[in-house]
Amino acid sequence: MSTKEQKQRIELLQGTLDLLILRTLLLGPTHGHAIAKAIEFNSDDVLQVEQGSLYPALHRLIKRGWISAEEGTSENNRRAKFYRLTAKGRRQLAVETSKWDKLAGAIAQILRPAKREGES
Amino acid sequence: MSRRKRMMEGLDQDIREHIATETQDNIERGMSPEDSRYAAMRKFGNVTRIKEETREVWTLIWLEQLLQDFRFALRTLRKNPGFALTAVLILALGIAANVIVFGVLQALVLRQLDVPHGDRVMTLQPKDAGPFLSYPEMRDVRDGNTVFSAVAGYEVNGFGLEANGVTRPVWGSEVSGQYFEVVGIKAFLGRLLERSDDDHPGASESAVLSWSAWKSDFAADPNIVGTKVRIDKLPYTIVGVTPEGFYGTEKIGQIDIYVPMANEASLDGLNWLDLRTHANVFSIVLIKEGVTLPQVQAELNAITARIARQYPKDEEGLALKLARPGLVGDFIGGPTRGFLTAVMALAGIVLLAACANLGSLFAARTADRAREIAIRMAVGSSRWRILRQLLVEAVVISIFGGACASVLAWMALTGLANWHPPTRFPLKFLVMPQPSLILIAFLISVLAGVLFGLMPLRQIFKTDPNDAIKNGGIQASAGRRWALRDVLLAAQIALCCVTVTAALVSLRGLGEALTMDLGFNPKNAIRTEFNLSAAAYTSDAAADHFQRQLLERVSQIPGVEAAGYANTTPLDFDVSMADVFSEQTTDFRPSNSAFDTYFYHVSPGYLAAAGTPLLAGRDVSFTDTQKTPAVAIVNQEFARRLFHSQQAVGRYFKNRNGVSIQIVGIMADGKHFTLSEDPKAAVFFPISQKTDTRTALIVRTQRDTADIVASIREVVRDLDVAVPISESGPWSDQLALSIFPSQVATVALGLFGAFGLLLSIAGTFGLASYTVSKRLRELSIRVALGAQAKQILAAALGRMLILLGSGSVVGIVLGVAASRLLSAIVYQASAQDPLVIASVVFTTVLTGSLSIVGPVTRVLHVDPANLLREQ
Repeated sequence: MSTKEQKQRIELLQGTLDLLILRTLLLGPTHGHAIAKAIEFNSDDVLQVEQGSLYPALHRLIKRGWISAEEGTSENNRRAKFYRLTAKGRRQLAVETSKWDKLAGAIAQILRPAKREGES
Repeated sequence: MSRRKRMMEGLDQDIREHIATETQDNIERGMSPEDSRYAAMRKFGNVTRIKEETREVWTLIWLEQLLQDFRFALRTLRKNPGFALTAVLILALGIAANVIVFGVLQALVLRQLDVPHGDRVMTLQPKDAGPFLSYPEMRDVRDGNTVFSAVAGYEVNGFGLEANGVTRPVWGSEVSGQYFEVVGIKAFLGRLLERSDDDHPGASESAVLSWSAWKSDFAADPNIVGTKVRIDKLPYTIVGVTPEGFYGTEKIGQIDIYVPMANEASLDGLNWLDLRTHANVFSIVLIKEGVTLPQVQAELNAITARIARQYPKDEEGLALKLARPGLVGDFIGGPTRGFLTAVMALAGIVLLAACANLGSLFAARTADRAREIAIRMAVGSSRWRILRQLLVEAVVISIFGGACASVLAWMALTGLANWHPPTRFPLKFLVMPQPSLILIAFLISVLAGVLFGLMPLRQIFKTDPNDAIKNGGIQASAGRRWALRDVLLAAQIALCCVTVTAALVSLRGLGEALTMDLGFNPKNAIRTEFNLSAAAYTSDAAADHFQRQLLERVSQIPGVEAAGYANTTPLDFDVSMADVFSEQTTDFRPSNSAFDTYFYHVSPGYLAAAGTPLLAGRDVSFTDTQKTPAVAIVNQEFARRLFHSQQAVGRYFKNRNGVSIQIVGIMADGKHFTLSEDPKAAVFFPISQKTDTRTALIVRTQRDTADIVASIREVVRDLDVAVPISESGPWSDQLALSIFPSQVATVALGLFGAFGLLLSIAGTFGLASYTVSKRLRELSIRVALGAQAKQILAAALGRMLILLGSGSVVGIVLGVAASRLLSAIVYQASAQDPLVIASVVFTTVLTGSLSIVGPVTRVLHVDPANLLREQ
């Protein structure tokens, strides 16, 4: 609750959430709450999603045609909207992933030399 | 949008389910149900904001906000009906002025002739003379060029049209063979005139009716083709009717009937088809497709050079240029364009003033709303959003204004198009409003709205919400510094002074024009005009006999003090000019002439009847005949220019045929063509030395006009029932056309002046009241501390007076400078006239005082106790 308890958790950058949603849906269609849980779980609770902010992002992705939404029933028998990755979304995920890899690599490259000097 | 709605409905459920699932998870982890729900909601975040953000994904958000702004603007305006009404009214007037002037400008100047290939139709006219060519010149261009598809000449004439036993004076046009090829229209009925009709005199007795004449004079008779009529007593056959909407090739006139020009000698009584010096033909040409204007001009130069070489005596220095058709070439077109452009500029100034006015009202209102704006900013509204909302408000106002303006302009233009100027000429302004004007009005309104809506821009961007809220909306600097709205007000007062000055100058000019010395006295004179050629008087002897008999009979009518006739009278637009040569000249080419002069042929007694003073010498006499030496009466200007003295009686000058003419009398100077002209040379020849079928009879009497007119008509009918009198009535009425330009200018400028005044009152009043209300608290304190009325006034409105004063001075100076431009249109338009300056100053002071009376009384009745208690 207090900031100290959550210091290990990182706020998501704008746009990164889109990537994470797409990646999550790659495993199969699921509903909003499950997506939020999956992101938190798969990042060992490091990535903290303000769960509500998932919804504008989902709608943005639907509008772009990267995912689609359909009615379904959740594991505990609740009616919920299931989100599914489209073919277009799949391609986009590849693009976004390689972009992210490049970005992460570049940032790492900038940070690593300093580390190496410190180590040697 | 339905997709958006569906998505948003799904969202609500989704969120509910999400939170329920999360709550369920929490309960399973062992939390109490209540805590579980709170934790879930905390984790989810602000539901409303999330929904809002999601909705934005699906919305053209700016459109929605614009709609909101629009509704808000309407609400705000409904709450301030006074402000809204004033603003709409001011804008409506300002925009209407622009749309009307633009409509006239578009109809008369910008729009090409409404004929096929209108873009390639032009007129030819001499480089530096009137609009006319001589027929042989037109013919030479027609037969010797490679750049025109067709070349035609036309002349406008009054005819006596006899059909079904009734003779009516109508306006006709003698047109040469290719006229209808140039205009390229198709006959509505029958056929139009062709080259073969104009091949040689008498080749054809065909006439073509205009659509409107067919409709009104012949009751739209479908069997009109083949109908026999008589034009000036000569037999003609109607062979066709022009299509609706074709009014001839002049935009200000309306022709009823077209006849072949080859027949002109039988109609005009003078054969000018071979007279190179008789310039009386308008020309109109159709330029070949793909030929550029410089190419045309080059070819024209070559042709005229050839003509000048061939006929050095008549055509020396001949040069032709192209002019836009529709307004008698550049002749009326030039001044009309100039005047309309000036009026358009004035209309623009008025609209600018209106915008400045509204802008300052707006700025004042924005200042009043400073607190509201500050609060909106404090709660996170962007400056752009606030500005946009103000802009929308401004544009809403101006679109209302534009709508009212469109209605006004439409009515005004329709009225103008259906109005006949007071003249016997077939004048009609083809200014029917076009639908495109509404678009123009709309564009002007939006532009104006944005213009004044942007005035409070700076105010908004420098607003500091903290400050504004603390000070209750009163900015600490208010009333100390010169604000933009102060400058705007001064500028606007200056602009209004310009329009007021222009209006008063032209009003004064019109007054002068109505009382000026014309060189003759149209009061108590009756002018009767007819052309004997319309009754087939072809021989000089017959015409002369008729005219003398008429004069004799008319002189015997009781109450007639003097009577005389002439071929034409001054200011009738039918006057001719001739070269004057000095006695010593032997080579009579145009470049050797001393000057040119207006000339008339008059009967004995004409001078007395017209009231033109004979200053020396004698009147003409019927004993001056073709067998006696040529004599003339000249005016003072003529004598001055030829002899540099007034001692001219007994001396001689020569005409272009080398004939010596003795001057037997000197008469007073006067006006001949326009009221605004400088003194011009004029000469009266005895009509007994050169008979003319055109007859203008002048009768001077103190008796009732109607009686005398009736008697004159009776005498004419008695002498020859076939003579169609084209007009008979008070001479002053017939001069209306001369005063017409002044009247138009005065009405137009008067309206602008009045509107300018209205604006300046509204603007001054608005700003003065605003200043006072802003400082009421401070003023109350001053009153409470014992300030005198004078001091309070100085404190409250001193600055207003400075603004008023400086604005007025600048405006009057500008107005005086601009009024020089008016002198071409309005007779003796001079702003140096002390009376004009005095009136402008008086008007300005009066309006200035009027507009601050309200605020002043408010200041003087400040009750400090009351006010300080309230705030």
